[in-house]
Amino acid sequence: MSETIYRRMSDLPSTHLLGGGTAMCAGCGGLQALHQIYDVLGTKTVFVNAAGCMTLLSVYPFTPFRGSWLYTAMASAPAGAQGVRDALDILCDKGRLPRDEDLQVVTLTGDGAAYGMGLSATSGAIDRNLDFLYICYDNEGYGNTGQQSSPATPHGAHTATATGPAGHSGFKKDLFGIWVANRPAYVATVIGTEPLDLARKIEKAAKLSGPRLILALAPCPTGWDFDPQQAAEIGRLAVRTGIFPLKEYLDGRVVHTKVKRPRTPVEEYLRAQGRFQHLFEPERRQDVLDAIQARVDAYWEHWDPSH
Amino acid sequence: MYRIRFHGRGGQGMKTASRILGSAFFAEGFEVQDAPSYGAERRGAPIFATVRAAHAPILERGPMPQPGLVIVADETLLPMAAGGGVLSGMGERAVLLLHSAVDANTWKQRLQLACRVLTLPLRLEETGGRGFVGALCAGAAARLVGIVSREALEGAIRQELAAMPAQVLAANLTQAGEAYDAMKKHAGCVCEAPEAPAPGAVDANWIDLPFEAAELSAPDIHGALTSIQVRTGLWRTLRPVIDPERCSRCHWLCGSLCPDAAISPEAEGLPVIDYEHCKGCLVCVAVCPRHAIESIPEAQAREQEASP
Ligand SMILES: Cc1ncc(C[n+]2csc(CCOP(=O)(O)OP(=O)(O)O)c2C)c(N)n1
Ligand code: SF4
Ligand code: SF4
Ligand code: SF4
Ligand SMILES: [Mg+2]
Repeated sequence: MSETIYRRMSDLPSTHLLGGGTAMCAGCGGLQALHQIYDVLGTKTVFVNAAGCMTLLSVYPFTPFRGSWLYTAMASAPAGAQGVRDALDILCDKGRLPRDEDLQVVTLTGDGAAYGMGLSATSGAIDRNLDFLYICYDNEGYGNTGQQSSPATPHGAHTATATGPAGHSGFKKDLFGIWVANRPAYVATVIGTEPLDLARKIEKAAKLSGPRLILALAPCPTGWDFDPQQAAEIGRLAVRTGIFPLKEYLDGRVVHTKVKRPRTPVEEYLRAQGRFQHLFEPERRQDVLDAIQARVDAYWEHWDPSH
Repeated sequence: MYRIRFHGRGGQGMKTASRILGSAFFAEGFEVQDAPSYGAERRGAPIFATVRAAHAPILERGPMPQPGLVIVADETLLPMAAGGGVLSGMGERAVLLLHSAVDANTWKQRLQLACRVLTLPLRLEETGGRGFVGALCAGAAARLVGIVSREALEGAIRQELAAMPAQVLAANLTQAGEAYDAMKKHAGCVCEAPEAPAPGAVDANWIDLPFEAAELSAPDIHGALTSIQVRTGLWRTLRPVIDPERCSRCHWLCGSLCPDAAISPEAEGLPVIDYEHCKGCLVCVAVCPRHAIESIPEAQAREQEASP
């Protein structure tokens, strides 16, 4: 694979392609990642968007994109991407679209669609070796409808449907692992607070063909209950504590692109967010905190055993 | 019929205020209608909520053209046409209550209003949640209409905030009680007004629309980048300001991390903030390694701009 053009922070794009004026919340971590991703992917893209917060990017007659955007039902974005890809292929084959004007088909969905409702359509698309780039902005809940629990909700978090003293009882599903098990072209995790790591991964993904997933953790002031100004600090803590590993899968191998040693205790990440406050007040839930830390430790014990 | 309109920004609790007041009216034996009104926008965007209460069935629907009481939680909405027309339809007998540190007379002059203007001192640091003043505003409204008892108000707050932790509920009860007391002098100043016939209402003239093929009936945008016509800069209550002396021109940092892509460098590498679209999240303030970005109240920034 060729060298990256993003060698240092100053190589990052300085003018931005995504338009302002969108309806996303102030401080939205998903939008932060998306605008960086769009800068690297460029304008030869068509977005296929499942129902979720980002549906509100393009509300008629407004769009922040410089190219096409298509809205699909929540479970069907990868199927929508198949239709768009097929149409582009037909146009290219018939000579009605020059090959150098072909577009990258990008599926854009939240975690509710990517981890849950849309997983079946994703599975089918991977089976058909669909040439598409799937971007999931993961705000760990059904954000657009008021942050109900989704299969991406982390253990212990309060959501609109998990209001008990110990929060959400389930554990976050491993979407990265599910994709990797299918041996697709590329899978990577990114976060908007690591823009250089993100740019390199998008650059790589854009050059490949076949099914590709970019999984972006999306700190969400509204759903996670923190002040918008804290969005970057929470993103950084997600990486520093190791709760959100930055990694990529390529050619049968998983590589971690940022490994923090030593890791910050996960408690610092949890404490900064309202959705975990019940683990600290009125009384400390050491059992839940230990369970969360133990999962993080076990993960890194497996991948980075010497530390 | 009592007609009350609450104006604020998403996240300040105006929807909750309307529900609390509605429930309190209901407990007092009224027929009630309460409804929030907002678009797809999120926290920070202007929203309003209305409450109608009467002793007879309420047939009026929709937005409220002639309110008896308007409560504004956020004074920065006042100069804003896009704020949802905060002052629209306010006749001489209406009452305006502003949640503001500036006194009522100054506002009355500034806004050139004939109606009664009252203020509720600004208390943004309350524990009800960051900038959440829903219970506070509901408490004031309950006293101004004059016929809602403290018991009905408290019962309504307990009902509407049942999902909140005990200490948050307690803080909201305290806030609402204080606002209720603060408005004692003006109790009952809001008048009822009769049910108004919809102006020029005529019977519906239904038109059958034939089924159209998708290429005709589906919304289709051909323009690129049209979102920039939406001025999300109006969401801002605090404005980030870059100090060029301190700034080290590492624009890839603040420029990448601004969620709304509202920061780009000019030719010399000095980052420039697009205030038409900056929502005031202050992520840039938090990430700037040189502490070169400070935040100032938007109202103050606008005043400075207005005076040369
Ligand atoms: C089949 C279906 N069920 C429910 C909905 C309602 N709905 C719209 S957006 C949404 C939440 C989507 O969650 P996610 O994919 O995580 O995106 P987010 O809203 O968090 O951005 C839901 C449940 C829908 N549009 N379609
Ligand atoms: S709810 Fe969360 S993910 Fe959705 S727009 Fe707001 S901050 Fe972004
Ligand atoms: S991050 Fe701070 S120092 Fe760097 S360019 Fe932005 S404002 Fe200037
Ligand atoms: S406050 Fe700063 S980071 Fe937030 S939208 Fe405005 S310029 Fe961007
Ligand atoms: Mg989600």
